[in-house]
Formats: sequence, C-alpha cells, structure tokens
Amino acid sequence: MGSEARKRARARIREEREREKRAAQRKKTLLVVGSAAAAVLLIVVVGYAIMTADRSTGYEGELAQETLQADGSVVMEQDDAEAPVVEVYADYQCPACRQFENTNGDLLKEMAAEGEAIVHLRPVSIFAVQPAPTSSNSLRAGAAARAAADHDVFVEYNDLLFAHQPNSAQEGYTTDELKEWFRETDASEEQASEFDESVDAEAGVVTEFTEEFLPALNQDALDEIGEENLGTMALPDLLVWGEQNGHDSSFLDGTYTGEIINATETAYTRYSGENMFRGTPAVYINGTQIDNDSAMSPRRLRDAIEAAGAGEVESEPMEEGDANKDP
Amino acid sequence: MIDTADTIPHESGGGRFRWSTVQPWLTLACRIGLAAVLITAAVTKFPPALSVEAVEAYDLFPTALAELIGYTLPLFELALAALLLVGLATRYVGAVGTLLMVVFIAGIISAMARGLNIDCGCFGGGGTVAPEETDYGISIARDLAFAAMGAFIAFFPRSPFALDRLFGLFR
Repeated sequence: MGSEARKRARARIREEREREKRAAQRKKTLLVVGSAAAAVLLIVVVGYAIMTADRSTGYEGELAQETLQADGSVVMEQDDAEAPVVEVYADYQCPACRQFENTNGDLLKEMAAEGEAIVHLRPVSIFAVQPAPTSSNSLRAGAAARAAADHDVFVEYNDLLFAHQPNSAQEGYTTDELKEWFRETDASEEQASEFDESVDAEAGVVTEFTEEFLPALNQDALDEIGEENLGTMALPDLLVWGEQNGHDSSFLDGTYTGEIINATETAYTRYSGENMFRGTPAVYINGTQIDNDSAMSPRRLRDAIEAAGAGEVESEPMEEGDANKDP
Repeated sequence: MIDTADTIPHESGGGRFRWSTVQPWLTLACRIGLAAVLITAAVTKFPPALSVEAVEAYDLFPTALAELIGYTLPLFELALAALLLVGLATRYVGAVGTLLMVVFIAGIISAMARGLNIDCGCFGGGGTVAPEETDYGISIARDLAFAAMGAFIAFFPRSPFALDRLFGLFR
C-alpha cells in the first residue's frame, strides 16, 4: 500500500470517528431534551389534575328555597337554617364574576341545600357608569334577573346569564336572548309572557339611562365641577348632584333598573374600612369581606364558611303584596 | 477544560481566558435568576380562577382555551424553573424561556394595539384596570430583560451545578 493510500485510509477512519462522536453527541442531546420534555409534561399534567380537583363538583341536586328580598336581592337557604351568611355581590357583565360563578356556584348551591350556608345573592351593576354597551348589558341583565326572581327562578336564571356573558365591548344580553333563556328555566308560559313584558319595559329604561340621562349628566358635571372632581365622584353622589342641577332621574323610580342602581349605591355605602365594597365579585361571610384568593378557590371558600358561625340575613323578605314594581 | 461542540469556539489566552472562567458563573446566575422569576410568576397566578380571568382579559382565545391556558401556564412556568435549577437541557430550556417571553410581549403589544386597558397578569393580578393603571411599557421592558437572560443561557449553556454535565453535555 502506498503512503497516499495509507493517508486516505487514516483520513477515512478519522472521519468515521468524528461521525460516531457526533452521533453519540446527538443521542445524548436527544436523551437530555427528551427527559426534560417528559419532566415538563409530567409537572403540567399532574399539576392540572390536582388543580382541577379543587373545582366545583357539579352540583345537580335540589336547590334550596329562594326568597326574594325587599331590596331585590335573593336569599337561598334551607328552612330556618342556622348557618353563616354568605353574601355574593356580582355584576352580570363582570368577567371575574362569571369566573366566580363557574368556580363556586355549585359549591354554594350545595352548601345552601344542605343547610351549611345561607347564600345571599346580591346582583349589582358596577358597570352602570361605564359607556354603553358595557353599562346597558350589565343593567339589562340585572333587571332581567330581578324579573326572574318574581317567578322564583332567580338562581337558574342567574346561571344562564353568566353562561352567556357577552364580551363587554359588544351589545349583548339582548331582549330576545333574555326572553329565550327564561324559557330554559322551569317557568310556565304565562310567567314567560309576564317576564317578556318586564324585559321590554326595562330595556327602554336602560336605553334612556345609558344613552341620554347619564351622558348628559356626565357632560354637565364635567363642565360644572371639572374632570378632577368628577373622577372621584361615585354614582350616588353624581345622581344627587344631578337632582340639584336639573337632571331628573324619576324615570328610574319603580323600575328594576333603578332598583339595581340603588342596590349598587347601597353596596358602596354599606361597608367601611377593610370591608369596603370596591368592585365585583365581592364575597362577605357574616358581613366580613373575604379576600380574592379565598373567594376564587372552592376549597378555601368552603373552609372559610365552615369556620364561621351562624349569621343573620340583613335584609327583609319582600312582602307578598308589593311583589311587583316597588323597590 | 476542553471545549466541545456545544460551547462557543474561543481561543485561549488574553481576555478570552477570563471570559471562559466568568461565563459559566454568569450562566448559573441567569439560570437561578430566571427560575426565581418564573416561580414568582407561577405562584402569584394562584388560584387558577384568577389566572383564567387574566388570560380572558386579553380577549385572544375562546373561553375553553383561555381556561386551559390559565390553568397550565403557571405549571409550565414552574416546570421550566425546575429544569433551570437542576440544569437539565439547559440550552433548550433557556431558548424556550426566551420564546415564552417573546409570546408574552406579543400578547401585551396586541392588547396595547387594540386599546384594551388590562393588567398584563404577569405576576398575578390581571383583568381590566383603569386606563391610567396600565403599565404596558414596564411589562414589556421587564419581559425583554427576562428574554435576554434566557438567550444568554441558550447561547452559553455551559455552567456549574448542572445535570447536563452528568450526561456529558455543555461541559
């Protein structure tokens, strides 16, 4: 064999070794990347299983008795239950409220049905002061829920509303939709036509409030008291200011739209200090607000309720006579 | 120490020599730093219902997908952090970390461009906030810094205390 041939053979062997080394390296890299990917998958899958186990369990049983209150809220409890009072303030256009409902709705129904909690559902409209359609969606839904309460299907209807929550930037909770969903409850056809009337009437009130009354009032207040002061003014103060400055809000009197605006105002003034109502969802156990982290975890919420003693519902049930149109 | 195909080629001597001693420790610092960031991000996103809400606020995904992301993103962040701490597949985890930050930045820019007023939900929080409370600029700058850390790890994966070394990688 010539030296040339030997050189070529050596070069070939060297190349071969290089190739093997590279292949081995690739194999190692694949192994490492593969095990890393497997570790990620394991953590995500196991973690997901653990976290979803903390979700509401899907309560399908009988609902506790629901009682409409004089202020338009609804109490869900077993007869004469001695249990902590859980108040839930929610706005139908608020995404976090829908999240709360998805997370804890079944837990609260179950605890109410078993007499472990008195659940006081308080719809509000913190978005009433926003521009339409956020405000009008929120108010139409709130008024419709109140109308559903007249027919004792508030809790069911409440669920249907949250299940169909529209994007806050688009017109949603339309009168047609609101009527359609009512027919998915246990209500009778007669009740449905009463409900329809209410929904149509309230839609008119909502339009007047969000398209005419509030923009005019806002503009006026802006001119008179300046942006800085207006920014710090809550709706109740703004309405009072409006009354004194020729903005007549009497078209709201006796309507469910007016009632939910009142309920919202009351929520803002009912509490003080740490308990202050700042936004939705807000959850109070026996009058003490619980923090967002606890409110958003069924396990923690249950623990908090179980740790509390029996409480008293603060509102009075609606009298039979004035069941309609008198907030 | 011998250079392998996985480290950047460099000649010994002069300033280069110092770089080859300093770089592994810089990478280690980035690994620990980025892991700390990811763990903080994951833990503050708890409970998942809040994290779902933060994802939904971006208005980019259908509800079911937003829900899935809300649940799994914190877990994914935790998993990446764990890998960075033990130093497994260091280069690739660093690259994925950078990619994740780029996705976050894209999300924030898209929210900004659509005129949404949301909290980025990067470290818990999230959801709609008052227009004056948005801090898109800070969020993006922060994510850029984290992306840079990930990129450093991806380009210079060689570092002490890494499982990779047991496998003969990035030595």
